[in-house]
Amino acid sequence: MVKKAKLKLSSRLLKKKAKRSSFGGKKHCRFKSNPELTHDIDYKNADFLKSFITERGKILPARISGNSVHYQRLLAKEIKKARTMALLPYTSSGY
Amino acid sequence: MAKYEVLLLAVPEITKSEGSNIESSFSQVISKIKGRVISWERWGKYLLAYPIEGNDYGVYYLTRFDIPESEAPKLANELKSLLAVKYNDIVMRYLTSRLENETSLEYKKPAPLDETPKGVDEFLKENKMEGLISKDKGEELTNG
Repeated sequence: MVKKAKLKLSSRLLKKKAKRSSFGGKKHCRFKSNPELTHDIDYKNADFLKSFITERGKILPARISGNSVHYQRLLAKEIKKARTMALLPYTSSGY
Repeated sequence: MAKYEVLLLAVPEITKSEGSNIESSFSQVISKIKGRVISWERWGKYLLAYPIEGNDYGVYYLTRFDIPESEAPKLANELKSLLAVKYNDIVMRYLTSRLENETSLEYKKPAPLDETPKGVDEFLKENKMEGLISKDKGEELTNG
């Protein structure tokens, strides 16, 4: 007889799970559910990309925006392109 | 054939003739490598996200073109010699990117600044201060 080791959830993970459920369930990628929105991921469309950067000009993490890995990578690329063309800031001054 | 687009960022003082000069020499370069220019569009004046070469404002141009795949390796060099060397004083930055064949040519861009400068009278009219300026002007005229 081979004993199967039971997978134990650590207390940290359990806490994380509880936190997630208290915030209204699973994360949700807006591009996966709405394929037409993916055309907006473009370095020229700076007004749309602005919603994925912080006040300071940093790229918002997928942990917060809820984007899937694929679209987060696309977004990051386009934001960086827009930065080189001065459509988006690298950082905000005035603090 | 492969589609490309180039976004140019020019100095804010660029004149109309300078703009058309760049356009004509750009189309010459593209025809030299057996391509064809699809569109040349002036976006207008914009407030930049950060100052470049001491300029807070800039003028964007977007152009799209077709070139045969075999000529693609030459493209970067040709664009560099045109935009970064010949028009170095006018063009501050440019960005070349390849367009996938299936994608439509429609796109969205941020709104440009209003370029026609408004007179003081117009500003006051919009803000309902009509009485203010016309009186002052009249007085100035009589005094002078």
